[in-house]
Amino acid sequence: MNPQEEATDRRKFLQTGLAGTAGIGLAAASTTSVAIADEEKASISPEETNEVDVLVVGGGTAGHVAAIQAARAGAKTLLVERNSQLGGTTTTGGVAFPGLFDAWGRQVIAGIGWELVKESVELDGGTLPDFAKVPQRHWQNQVYTNQFLYAILAEEKCAEAGVQIAFYEFPQAIKKTDEGWEVDCVGFGTNRRVRCKQVIDCTGGAEVVGMAGFSRLREEERQPGSYLFMMGKEHQPGRNQIHRLYVHGADSTNSRTATQANLTGRKTILAKVRKEKKRLMHLQPETGFRESYRIEGETLITVNDYTSGRLFEDAISYAFYPVDLHTKTGVKPKPLKRGVVPTIPLGALIPKDSRDIIVAGRCLSSDRLANSGLRVQASCMGMGQAAGVAAALAAKAGSTPMEVPLAEIHALLKEHGQIIPGQA
Amino acid sequence: MNRKRSFVSLLLASSFVVLAVSGILAFLLPFSIQIVGLHALMGFLFVAVIVFHIANNYGHLSRYSRSRILVATLGITLVSTLLFFWQPEPVKKVLGLSRNLGPAQDRFEMVEEGLVYRYSPAPHYKMALTVRAGKSFASEAPPHVAIWLENASFYHIKTLRAPENEGEGRAALPYWDFKLRGWEKAREEAEEAGKSLQEKMEEADLDAVSGATQNSSFDPADYILPADPDNPMPYRLVLEIDSPDDDLPSLVYAVEVDNADPRAFQLLELVGYPAREEEDEEGKETWALYYVDYSDEKFAPVLELVDSALLQIDRETRGE
Repeated sequence: MNPQEEATDRRKFLQTGLAGTAGIGLAAASTTSVAIADEEKASISPEETNEVDVLVVGGGTAGHVAAIQAARAGAKTLLVERNSQLGGTTTTGGVAFPGLFDAWGRQVIAGIGWELVKESVELDGGTLPDFAKVPQRHWQNQVYTNQFLYAILAEEKCAEAGVQIAFYEFPQAIKKTDEGWEVDCVGFGTNRRVRCKQVIDCTGGAEVVGMAGFSRLREEERQPGSYLFMMGKEHQPGRNQIHRLYVHGADSTNSRTATQANLTGRKTILAKVRKEKKRLMHLQPETGFRESYRIEGETLITVNDYTSGRLFEDAISYAFYPVDLHTKTGVKPKPLKRGVVPTIPLGALIPKDSRDIIVAGRCLSSDRLANSGLRVQASCMGMGQAAGVAAALAAKAGSTPMEVPLAEIHALLKEHGQIIPGQA
Repeated sequence: MNRKRSFVSLLLASSFVVLAVSGILAFLLPFSIQIVGLHALMGFLFVAVIVFHIANNYGHLSRYSRSRILVATLGITLVSTLLFFWQPEPVKKVLGLSRNLGPAQDRFEMVEEGLVYRYSPAPHYKMALTVRAGKSFASEAPPHVAIWLENASFYHIKTLRAPENEGEGRAALPYWDFKLRGWEKAREEAEEAGKSLQEKMEEADLDAVSGATQNSSFDPADYILPADPDNPMPYRLVLEIDSPDDDLPSLVYAVEVDNADPRAFQLLELVGYPAREEEDEEGKETWALYYVDYSDEKFAPVLELVDSALLQIDRETRGE
């Protein structure tokens, strides 16, 4: 054995030994396998600078799809996520039954979101709904996925596409530059400066758009959030739904409001456990939020646009869900009329009078009732993919998403498996 | 004389027994032309016999009419008439116990152009469903048809029109049969448990994701003639139709009726064809509707059974 090999072996031994020591408690309960984080990629210096084509903020339902799409389209992409995993509402929020991908017996949303959902169901040995069946209630065609598997698969897809992921970070400041944006992100032990050509804001509440000074809309009262948990019986990930309770006033605007929602949700669950004297079998780490800010976009989707299935000239994705406004007294979903499939225009993803920034997810420009149907996962995935395409093409052409020829957006979306409104 | 009086009195008593029993049955049971017809015609006989009874007892009646009791009896009769005619809330509650939805009139006609079903549960609410025959509609071998109402949670609440031959019809229209059996079973279980059907169904129905869909009432009157006009509940009118001489599946058409958004006419839309699901772990039978694949030629004849199905509702606005 030469000295270099000996050093390598010694390092491996030390790594394994240290990791093994640190993980004794865990190893006894779980596995003998030990994974070593890649030291070369994990710098200990707090200062970090990145120059990328596309910065995606928020790795939730829309964000991870947007990042994968931008990277697959050839853009150098960085994805910043404030939590510790991808998937957002589907994983961290525990609403692991995304929908709706189908309408009236045909698929209307496909692409990367569907690819992930389908693969996670297959890998988990689960089953997809029978889409040929007429659902009596809209949620019957939501797809039960294993939230844990979904999160890891999303990371794998990001890695394969070349997306750089930065967990535990969030932007603190954003500045317009000639080339695009300079965004300062902070995480624990990390100060990251990102110079990028395009920003995709997938924060849910358009936090980056707000930080950049563009106009946002907000209701005085928000729909309640839902805290998901399982009490009394075993949680079967990917097989069924879990219990949930409303967290009224839940607001994802900042760490303080999110903290309040989580504390309230968990306190209520604890009281429920004491009262019902059942075992708490599962608890999501965070409240699932339904509503906070929406952007004031180039186009506003009204509830009439939504319920009439208006085909916008610049439509980039379908959406499908009842008008579903949750209130203090519950929800009475208003199903769409037979044959209606709403569409999402590119203009609803672009903050008014902005350049080089696009949103995807529940913060799209829409009135409140339209938003109550547009906010769901499959639609957000569709928006995420469209935003990824628009941002990547804009970065490549040195223009802004609103100026990218629609035909180019459609062609690239189609190439990546998405269904184009009016062309299916 | 005595024989004549006895005859009249006994006939009066026996016709009164029939009148009373048929009246109670008409109140308790769903509308039946036999029972209502028996009650009405026996009522005419009763009135005729009463004339003789009055003639036989004129002397007594004449004496009674000169006493103060006459005022009291006329008063009670007047108050009762007014109460029962105007029907304030307590009276409505008593009437609500009836399973006979008022003087419902329904008429079903097979005509050359197709079929017409008229249903008028109240003078100010007239419903007409006109199904125009398609190319494969044969009036000499008319299709099996069932028409029923469902609440917002897709539970059967009332069959408006059962097929002519119920045995064959149940086999030919499996979706209606499945819904009706579910409703009948739930009603029996609810009665055994001493609960209302609504309570029973709400217990069994755990809704999901977006919270509870309104399970609502199981009383058809709450939908068609809501007591609270400010809170009308939408319901669905469903039609299942099947051609008698083929092995093709039946088709189900439906339309949502929302009295809050009243429409004079609405077309029913094709929902799908029924197919039995695999039994679940508890062995529970379930049927689902499947989208019709228009490109599949096997559906062509059955799709041509109905050209269109139009629901018209004439709601007369009552003066406040």
